[in-house]
Amino acid sequence: MPRLTVDDLKRIKEEYKAAFTLREGGQRAKITVHMGTCGIAAGARKIMEAIIDEINKNNIKDVIVTTSGCAGLCSKEPMATVEIINEAPVKYVLLNEEKIRKIFKEHVIEGKAAEEYALAVGSETAY
Amino acid sequence: MVKGNILAVDDEQIILRSCERILSPEGYKVDTATSAREGLDLLGKNNYDLIITDIKMPEMDGIEFMRQVRTKNPDINIVVITGYPSQESIKEALSLRIIDYLPKPFSPIHLLEVAGHAMELKKKGAAPEPHVEDYTDEVAAKLDAIIAKYKNKPGSLIPVLQESQELVGYLPRVVQRHIAKNLKIPVSEVHGVVSFYSFFTMKPKGKHNVRVCLGTACYVKGAEEIIKKLSGGLKVEVGGITADKSFSLETVRCLGACGLAPVVVVDKDTHGSVNPVKAMDLLKEYE
Amino acid sequence: MERYRASVMLCGGTGCIAGNSLKVRNALVEELKNRELENEINVVMTGCNGFCAQGPVMTVYPEDIFYEKVSVNDIPVIVEEHFIKGRPVERLMYKEPLKKSTIPLMKDIPFFSLQVLRALRNKGLVDPEKIEEYIARDGYQAAAKALTEMTSEQIINEIKKSGLRGRGGAGFPTGMKWELCHKVKGEQKYILCNGDEGDPGAFMDRSIMEADPHVVLEGMIIGAKAIGASKGYIYVRAEYPLAVHRLQLAIQQAKENGLLGENILGTGFNLDIEIYQGAGAFVCGEETALMRSLEGKRGMPIPRPPFPAQKGLWGKPSVLNNVETFANIPQIIINGAEWYKSLGTEKSTGTKVFALSGAINNIGLIEVPMGIPLRKIIYDIGGGIPKGRKFKAVQLGGPSGGCIPEHLLDTPVTYEDIVQTGAIVGSGGMVVMNDLNCMVSVAKFFLEFTTDESCGKCPPCRIGTTVMLDLLTNITEGRGKEEDMEILQDIAKDIISTSLCGLGQTAPNPVLTTIKYFRDEYESHIKDKWCKTGVCKDLCTFYIDEEKCKACGVCKRVCPQNAISGEKKVPHRIKQELCIQCRSCYEACKFDSVNIGPVALREILKEDLPAQEILRNMHAAALAGKEE
Repeated sequence: MPRLTVDDLKRIKEEYKAAFTLREGGQRAKITVHMGTCGIAAGARKIMEAIIDEINKNNIKDVIVTTSGCAGLCSKEPMATVEIINEAPVKYVLLNEEKIRKIFKEHVIEGKAAEEYALAVGSETAY
Repeated sequence: MVKGNILAVDDEQIILRSCERILSPEGYKVDTATSAREGLDLLGKNNYDLIITDIKMPEMDGIEFMRQVRTKNPDINIVVITGYPSQESIKEALSLRIIDYLPKPFSPIHLLEVAGHAMELKKKGAAPEPHVEDYTDEVAAKLDAIIAKYKNKPGSLIPVLQESQELVGYLPRVVQRHIAKNLKIPVSEVHGVVSFYSFFTMKPKGKHNVRVCLGTACYVKGAEEIIKKLSGGLKVEVGGITADKSFSLETVRCLGACGLAPVVVVDKDTHGSVNPVKAMDLLKEYE
Repeated sequence: MERYRASVMLCGGTGCIAGNSLKVRNALVEELKNRELENEINVVMTGCNGFCAQGPVMTVYPEDIFYEKVSVNDIPVIVEEHFIKGRPVERLMYKEPLKKSTIPLMKDIPFFSLQVLRALRNKGLVDPEKIEEYIARDGYQAAAKALTEMTSEQIINEIKKSGLRGRGGAGFPTGMKWELCHKVKGEQKYILCNGDEGDPGAFMDRSIMEADPHVVLEGMIIGAKAIGASKGYIYVRAEYPLAVHRLQLAIQQAKENGLLGENILGTGFNLDIEIYQGAGAFVCGEETALMRSLEGKRGMPIPRPPFPAQKGLWGKPSVLNNVETFANIPQIIINGAEWYKSLGTEKSTGTKVFALSGAINNIGLIEVPMGIPLRKIIYDIGGGIPKGRKFKAVQLGGPSGGCIPEHLLDTPVTYEDIVQTGAIVGSGGMVVMNDLNCMVSVAKFFLEFTTDESCGKCPPCRIGTTVMLDLLTNITEGRGKEEDMEILQDIAKDIISTSLCGLGQTAPNPVLTTIKYFRDEYESHIKDKWCKTGVCKDLCTFYIDEEKCKACGVCKRVCPQNAISGEKKVPHRIKQELCIQCRSCYEACKFDSVNIGPVALREILKEDLPAQEILRNMHAAALAGKEE
């Protein structure tokens, strides 16, 4: 890896910001599994495995799966966020394998949020 | 209840008999041997909490006797009785890590004190040790490798102990001595650090290690009940290990998974929202 | 006037006409005629209804169905499906971009809307194992600014002006700490990060290290520049393996990208950071103890001065800050001190992260502006107490803090106001307790903790806490004496005034606050031998109010001892000889018919009579006694 300069930093920021917001990354959806200690203890790894399994089974190429840390609401773990391009992200809570497979089918493939498992839609205000 | 098993070794019958006479009524079980050989035989057959031995004996003397004892029982408590303490013999005895010294003639009170002290040491867990199988040449070589990695780095004792504990499972005294010798620091310093930090343990762990979180959130949600249930179910105290060595039970100060309180960690699996009444069910999958 | 079965309101506003709404109207009229519906369905052109972006739009009454982006081609379908078969065409129906479902918006959920994310701004958003994602969220911009545009003095001034106070517990102004160290001359200085989160019930630092490890590194880079350090350590508890893993990865990535190591960002500034795993000792949260531990020794505090800023790790000038403190630094550098101060109060600026847990609906990690009242945190963000139970106290500051009762819930969360209650803000553990918690036992729990964790250096702390624990144990086991409360308070005063470090100086707080606010509980334990919550097994008797009992059998099923008798429709009764006071029945009963009485009741209830009858008889006897 090259050593970064201040300008590189700005460039990387712009590049990844693009990818980050899905639009220019050529991706249609992003699934974030929240994997802090709480989440993992509550079974986040199984959720992750189920998502990867669904992606492989359905031969899907335009969905990014990623992890992040604690989403903050430990009593509702495991949690995942599904973001479809041009739509507000939806946070799902208290997941299990069955639920995430259903969410995958309904929200990621068919594009309709699985209301019964959703906690909220939108992002938190960060300053 | 027997307070403890004691082996007394002396070539003078009268000493042995007075040991028996003083210790037996106080609840100790005393076996006697009139020679070091006989003593070694008995040691092969029985378990003792304390050995009381003379130094000057015909055939094999007390020093040689202790040396041989140490090869098999590196951490058994030994007390020496002798009428003629010489600088040399005491020095040797000390190097064999005796816990006390009784000059002849000794008073019954003194003998009882020494025996009581030995039992206390044993109870504190400082003495029971080590399972020789845990400190093989192979382990020793691996310990050397760990030490070599950190040798010239300042502040390396804690990481060395962490990795050593990872390797052996616990930090018996023999391992602490090994580390002290190779890091060229006093054993007392090593032991001081081991006994200070809760992460280090001098007791072996079971095949499965059960840790109950005692953070505030877990406490509020019934962690104490869980400990009681597990301790009763496994028939083991906190900090102990089951007779078949399959489980050890520990408490831990907050794992930071308060959202899942109460939390029990078995090996590396975290179980959240544990129902205290059903705590034992958790362990089924590990049997 | 003709009566129509339905009316179609077609928008004739400029926008919709531009979108061909006239053609749509013609096609609709035509189609209705073809289907012979012209007398049943009325078509009206209306003025602009404002939904121009969705045009052409139309509304069908009386069903009030709103179609958007209707084209000529859609008309036959609408007529066929809606007007003939009575099935509105879903495909064309209006969807509100966010309200298309019943899922609430983040901003409508108080748990999220009342929070202000600064230290946690990347929470749940970035992949902690990818440096690029952090950079994409403005990561390392602050470090770049600090290294290229700012002098050490400017950085220190900005942090001082921001009013940021150490988030580890004591609340010492961060900028002043840095300034002190900056002014000390020294070849080698150290920047240290305290991730040894030892408070039971706190997990703020763990979450930050796990979710956003780079922000900690960036904060440390800025701190290192401010004080002139070239070497840093992060001290993390070994109980946090995931945090250790992610920090290690972050350090490695930062090094590969020239953001750590030599010549950072080509500015000539050097900083090397290493992780050091602690081995579990609460006292290591104290800065001098932590430094001893880093040196590989027993983590025992030493007297100050000299302060670590002058003589710290290995005798060199060192600054130790908490994880959350460092997580705030980059934002202050980017947005400025004024921005940071815009939230919070005059003396407690910015936001604070809390770990909310215990008997509360929303357990989790929250970041709120300083000055928010406790009540808002517990009832709005936390969602109140679950299962219809009653709030009793909130514990702040862990073993160094105290329990705050209901009547003080309007206290604003600032360093100054919380101290007034006898608790402390501390590192941010906030544990909620309900009416099932015995406050004497809670005090005992914390004392057990401090007794265990006292390093033993100062006798008042080592021995004093042990004596206090003995007294509390006596009280909870029925051996309490009336004078015990006074003795507890006396010893507490001595421990506080004579201990060297924060551990001892604050260890009695949980006891003092519970005596202050829950004195009646201590008194009922001591005088009546009665733990009204049923936590202290030696001080309670469980019995069933047979008049309230609905004989539903729930308590019978949960009783692990089979100590409850009674059939369907026969009121249940607890056999005192078998009862182990596990409280399962009390918690399970939906009709509040399980009561907790003083321990003295146990013997009396062994007679096989209904509890009420015995109690009534006793009451009558007592009254009779009085009359005589």
